[in-house]
Amino acid sequence: MKSNTNSSKLDYLLAAPTLIWLTVFFLVPYFIVLIYGFLTPDIFDVKFEFNLDAYRQLFEGTYFRPFLLSVKLAITTTLLCILIAYPVAYLIARASDKLKNTLLILIIIPFWTNLIIRIFSWRIFLSYNGVLNDILLKIGLISQPLEIMRTDLAVIMVMVYVYLPYMILPLYSVLEKLDFTLLHAAMDLGATEVKSFFKITLPLSLEGIFAGVLLVFIPSLGTYLIPQLVGDQRSLYVGQVITYKIKNIPRNWPMASALSFGLLILVAIFLLIGYILLRKSKVRGVV
Amino acid sequence: MRRFTRGQFFKGMNLTVFTFAMLFLYIPILILVIFSFNDARIVTSWKGFTFKYYLQLLDNVAIRQAFLNTMLIAGLSTFISTLLGLLTALGLENKKLKGRRGFMGLLYAPLVIPDILMGVSLALLFNFLSVNTGMWTVLIAHITFCVSYAVIVIQSRLEGFDYSLIEAAMDLGAKPATTFFKVKLPLIMPGVIAAALLSFTLSIDDFIITFFTSGRGFDTLPIYVEGTIRRGTITTINALSTLVIGFTLLLVVFTKRVRKSLISTF
Repeated sequence: MKSNTNSSKLDYLLAAPTLIWLTVFFLVPYFIVLIYGFLTPDIFDVKFEFNLDAYRQLFEGTYFRPFLLSVKLAITTTLLCILIAYPVAYLIARASDKLKNTLLILIIIPFWTNLIIRIFSWRIFLSYNGVLNDILLKIGLISQPLEIMRTDLAVIMVMVYVYLPYMILPLYSVLEKLDFTLLHAAMDLGATEVKSFFKITLPLSLEGIFAGVLLVFIPSLGTYLIPQLVGDQRSLYVGQVITYKIKNIPRNWPMASALSFGLLILVAIFLLIGYILLRKSKVRGVV
Repeated sequence: MRRFTRGQFFKGMNLTVFTFAMLFLYIPILILVIFSFNDARIVTSWKGFTFKYYLQLLDNVAIRQAFLNTMLIAGLSTFISTLLGLLTALGLENKKLKGRRGFMGLLYAPLVIPDILMGVSLALLFNFLSVNTGMWTVLIAHITFCVSYAVIVIQSRLEGFDYSLIEAAMDLGAKPATTFFKVKLPLIMPGVIAAALLSFTLSIDDFIITFFTSGRGFDTLPIYVEGTIRRGTITTINALSTLVIGFTLLLVVFTKRVRKSLISTF
């Protein structure tokens, strides 16, 4: 019914507006980012004169540290999210249908609450004379307030907090489809609980882990707001450096462009690695 | 006897982690709500109950304007991206369409690239074209990051579509337009609503892309809140946040439809 040329034309027509939109406002802008990296910085934007400084600095490693920090943060966040999200998703997947929906809603509500507001609430919680220190002092666990705000620890805590639902939900959706009788069979045949988890549950949920990693790791690489609001301002992440180069005067848009391009390449490399790993595990018949 | 011990170890561990995760997710929000009624200039210690920050909110012109801006952008971008998403999802139903794979790649790309890059690239585009940033540039940016989600959510609804219903309607003499509006559209409506909800949420929540594409004088709520936190005058922000959280809760808890659509989004 759909294969004749007439409806084919209609299908193109239906898809065309979005295709054009994404070409103009998504694809073309990246070419402009690429070009701006070869221009000369000006106080407010750019001078249209060819200049290799930005890319030279990128390749000479002047900005190696922010990239390293961002990758480290993304890896830490992702690992912690997997460790916390897996048991949570497992528990929800095995709950009764009625309970399941309630639990899911409990996970989704924070995720639906405004991001800045949630980060802001952590500032109240963690600050020097904040609620956490208040409580710990009162019960006598510490004698002096802890300085958690504006440290890497605070950044990691808030990152995990913000990204946790993105790991729980895809894991839940694979675990929910998992045939739990397989586990019972394995255990009846004498496998221990731990062994049957590593031999059956974990391999069968790899696809969910991959989806979760995609949703957590990639955005973590470019994070700006969280380190900006709760992090140590002496250790800047890539997202912060890019933003400063764009927003703070004197501006350096060519450098921001080169850094953005570097980040884009980094993301592409990680996506490629993920794709190869996923293919490999599919070939082995694991997923 | 094994039957009784089966799964006990993991069950115990899962419950512990689950409880911890719930505390972790909700304690900061709870604190925020409590402190919105705190009668102290410094937000961090309790000095007694007050309602004054809520009253101050009503008088604050900047917040009111930021709220209106947020709703305007969210409403418009939701409408446009859901419409674009619906049309595209219908067009891409045709699996034999030439270039379909490439187009799907273009649709998925915005989802796997960090937001900040979309913000930077749009900022440079608008600079390159010498466009003054403001409401229109923010609207364009929001449609750009919402449209892919809209397409994908509606596509997932179309996936299991029963085409025999369309054939039945046609056999009974319904015109293609009638079939579409009376049979197909109602059936995929849950997907359309889910797409709209997701777009709306993404739009009102976005900070970084708006940060790069809005000019001076056009603040959305996240932009306003971030600026206020940075300047340190944060007493009314608790109250504002509590209202936002309350609104979210009301929407999620009391509307079954929203809940169902939200769950089906994932």
